[in-house]
Amino acid sequence: MVSRRNFLKLGTAAAGASTALAGTSALTAAKPVTITGGKDYSPRTGKERQAIPSACWQCVSRCPIIGYVEDGRLVKIEGQPSSIRTDGKICAKAQAGINQAYDPDRILYPLRRVGERGEGKWKRISWDEALGELAGRLKKLRDDGHPEKFMFHYGRMKASSSKLIKSVFLANYGTKTIGNHTSICEGAKWTAQELTWGKHYDNWDFDHAKYILNFGSNCLEAHTNHTSVAQRLIKALADRRVKMVTFDVRLSNTAAKSSRWVPVKPGTDRAVALAMCNVIMSEDLYRGEGEAFLRFCKATPDMNATTADKVAALKRHLAQYTPEWAQEMSGVDAELIRNIAREFANTKPACLVTYRGAVAHFHGGETERAMQMLAAITGNIDNPGGRCRAVGAKWKYPKGPKNKPKAKKLKILDGAKGQAVLPTHHMNHQVFNMIKDGSAGRPEVYMWYCYAPVYSNGDCQANIEVLKDESLIPFTVCVNPYYDESAALADLILPDTPYLERWDWEDMVSPKQVPEYYLRQPLIKPLGEARNFGDVCCELADRMGFPLGISSMEEFVKLSCEKTQAVKAAGGFEYMRTHGVWHDPKAKPKYYSYLKEVKAEALAKDGVILDEATGVYWNWKKSKAKSAEEALAKGYTHTKNAYKGYVGQLIDGTVYAGFKPDKVNKSGYFELHSGIMEDKGLAPLPGYVVDPDHKAMSADEFILTTFKVNVQTHSRTQNCKWLSEIYHDNPAWINPESAAAKGIEDGDRIKVKSKIGEIETTARVTPAVAPGVIAISMHCGHWEYGRYASDKASPFGAENDLEYRRKWWKSNGGHPNWVIPNDPDPISGQQRWMDTVVTVSRVAAA
Amino acid sequence: MTQVGGLGPGHRPDEAARTAMERSNVYGFLAAVYRSEPTAALLGRMKSPDFLDALGAAGVALEQDLLGLPEAELLEKLAVEYTRLFIGPGSHIPPYSSVHLGGEGASLWGASTAWVKRFIEAAGFEYRPDYHDLPDHVSVALEFMQEITAREACALDEPDADEAGRLLSIEEEFVREHLAAWLPGFCDNVVDQARLPFYGEMAKLTKAFVESELESTTPLS
Repeated sequence: MVSRRNFLKLGTAAAGASTALAGTSALTAAKPVTITGGKDYSPRTGKERQAIPSACWQCVSRCPIIGYVEDGRLVKIEGQPSSIRTDGKICAKAQAGINQAYDPDRILYPLRRVGERGEGKWKRISWDEALGELAGRLKKLRDDGHPEKFMFHYGRMKASSSKLIKSVFLANYGTKTIGNHTSICEGAKWTAQELTWGKHYDNWDFDHAKYILNFGSNCLEAHTNHTSVAQRLIKALADRRVKMVTFDVRLSNTAAKSSRWVPVKPGTDRAVALAMCNVIMSEDLYRGEGEAFLRFCKATPDMNATTADKVAALKRHLAQYTPEWAQEMSGVDAELIRNIAREFANTKPACLVTYRGAVAHFHGGETERAMQMLAAITGNIDNPGGRCRAVGAKWKYPKGPKNKPKAKKLKILDGAKGQAVLPTHHMNHQVFNMIKDGSAGRPEVYMWYCYAPVYSNGDCQANIEVLKDESLIPFTVCVNPYYDESAALADLILPDTPYLERWDWEDMVSPKQVPEYYLRQPLIKPLGEARNFGDVCCELADRMGFPLGISSMEEFVKLSCEKTQAVKAAGGFEYMRTHGVWHDPKAKPKYYSYLKEVKAEALAKDGVILDEATGVYWNWKKSKAKSAEEALAKGYTHTKNAYKGYVGQLIDGTVYAGFKPDKVNKSGYFELHSGIMEDKGLAPLPGYVVDPDHKAMSADEFILTTFKVNVQTHSRTQNCKWLSEIYHDNPAWINPESAAAKGIEDGDRIKVKSKIGEIETTARVTPAVAPGVIAISMHCGHWEYGRYASDKASPFGAENDLEYRRKWWKSNGGHPNWVIPNDPDPISGQQRWMDTVVTVSRVAAA
Repeated sequence: MTQVGGLGPGHRPDEAARTAMERSNVYGFLAAVYRSEPTAALLGRMKSPDFLDALGAAGVALEQDLLGLPEAELLEKLAVEYTRLFIGPGSHIPPYSSVHLGGEGASLWGASTAWVKRFIEAAGFEYRPDYHDLPDHVSVALEFMQEITAREACALDEPDADEAGRLLSIEEEFVREHLAAWLPGFCDNVVDQARLPFYGEMAKLTKAFVESELESTTPLS
């Protein structure tokens, strides 16, 4: 036992040591030392809580929020009552955002690996050191003429962050080796929409729908516009008694709230949709709105086909897809298909809903094209109550220096040659394969941002092996406030600010069809040395000698408020800071915009020509064509980037705004018949090809499907303890019939084995999933990402962390991606999440 | 004349002033230990014979093997150890009170963070504008005690018994309500997790000192 005297001796020895040797101290005596003269705090709540409007980031819906701050501490998050999108509502994830800011396992300082990659040995370094090294490496690549060897890969990057980081910083740096994540989300859906109606994203107008038909969307629990959409759907169901039919392999909560759940064999939704189209055409149920809409559709190779021609062509094509045939494919009763098709066609307006359950499959894009056909022939496109084209805020923003370098790209974003025909949203799940293969080159620096490549793609083991291999990727940089499975394989970690500490302007789709402008602003100061990556990009550009003319995201947002006329007129940056959201109260909801006639002046503009073959007016100067002659000779369809010059579509002597193309040179028609598909040697009208894997599987095998739940967002909310307390385990759902055949009982440990590996999990025997299907949610089984996600007790867990002691749950579930291969849909490049053929067996008790 | 607190019963004012100053120095030293990765200056001072003797007397056994390493190597090793213990990434021991105190649970910027910040500000201090870490970092709490005890020493020296008594009551409240509530447990974890003896020894010292401080406070009546 050391005596007190001996401590005090140390005090003598340490005299002068502490102040002289301590470095920068934290405190300063501001005033004379006095208790009464200090600041005044109320005993319980302290100061009046500050209310700051901002925007969520727990999922892509990005709902407007209000954060309440007390003593500099964020204590509560609520919805923004002035938002026309959310009407002041937010979900559990948004409320748990506080956990993101105050996650005890958050990274607060830049870190440099000091051991082997993946060994877990780190050293704190200063930002100066971190950016010095990074800028040095990046500048060298740029100076050597190889900016494309800097690969930037984002998972979630939207609005102003996307513009500043991608359109300004990376564009000025000169790399186009920029990966995204869409193909592991719903890329097939977007490719199909680009082939049919142009720019992707469909808003379901539940406020006005009288009938809702849903294929594979669990939109009450999870959706890209979740709170806005879910509350409107519930109002439609509960207040207006709207009938909703949901096709799904699983009784999701959305299916459960529907008037009817129809279980369907995985990947066969397209058969049901085609059969419904068959019923609607053969029974002449298209007449009325559907027939009128066909005027704006392309249904045959002939651009000038009459509606009668189109009807005849569709009837001819669809004749083979009878409900009886669909019953064989999907297991759905033929009479039921007929009845639902009739209800859908006869109830106006009706809204057609689809998502990953329908599209994350082999030929998932073809499913979406069939769905577009179903909505089109019933006249439920871009109409009140139907499937509408998205309306979001259109911000203007500073673009940075005028003279950008010609950007270069490594051809590793779209998979191997021939792997997918039209991957318009790339194939991020193949990026590591491409890097491993090496024939299209490899990045020297691989940086990822709000992305979990190891966890979120299929085949986790393969992802680890590539990311870990220094001979494949010499330098890895992770931009992340948290330490996840991928960050563990970084050489450098740059601690980003969670969304509660940063600036952005936002623009998510408005279900009211009236755009809403809104802002994200810091609710609290960045903790530790966390820095917003937008700010970091500005500094990196300075360090590399190409200043962007913008010093921070805050300035970028401010300037954007100035440049965006509507926002400026409303009061600009100061208005947005104070109110958080703005919409034009006089704006009318945007429907039927394809009906707008194009003005003669627009057609008379320099460079605008008529393409006789398609009836498209387009400005060749916005394409890759070198001259008008070349443009005319090659034509609209075959000139690169011709779609960028699209002006309007000639239909029966009138030029309409039509369905403006995006990413592909589609005409201004709503294309049921796709010349682009035909050019690629594929069926121009959506048809049916059986998934070859499913065709080959034995009766003994299962199809593995994944799903989301209402309180977690794919990979990145499990560190939130409030959410993981609610949802932390994910047993595999299995139908009683299938379970009995395998001798599996509820709660048994089971093995799920695919061609790439096996996992062990627990069986949840339930009739809420179709026979022959095994369903595992995708949120669990983190092996990093903090104590609540990974269930790795922190070193102080046992003794004095009261909260951790209160953690009553033991399992953190399992991750299905270990056994799901990265197999793309051969057309769109969509990762086939819902197709994996597996065997399921009971694990014998030890 | 008022007896000056329980931290040195029976001491004459000049002795009490010296005690306060010595306590201040211990706090200052410990604050420096936790504030950041060790600097060459701090290690240099610690390696001096008088300091090592004093550390030894206080129960600290620093391994000569470690201290004998070339300076750059030693600093690197300790920096990696500091990062592993207190910064992460991954499992580490966040040096913030709110992660360790129950209340609303393990989180950064918890209720105890607000309490510490209020307490320190109410005592007349402000956080420097260029201080970016959290208000309840262990080194801030120790530095706060260093400052307050130094002021107590000055007051005793004046002598201004009222002021000294007032400062002492701040110290006692802070030790009782804050330091003693989480530092011993925090130190146990550091002892448990340290791979190099340096932080383990420092943690043992910190724990023992805080416990001694607690014992010396005036019993609550």
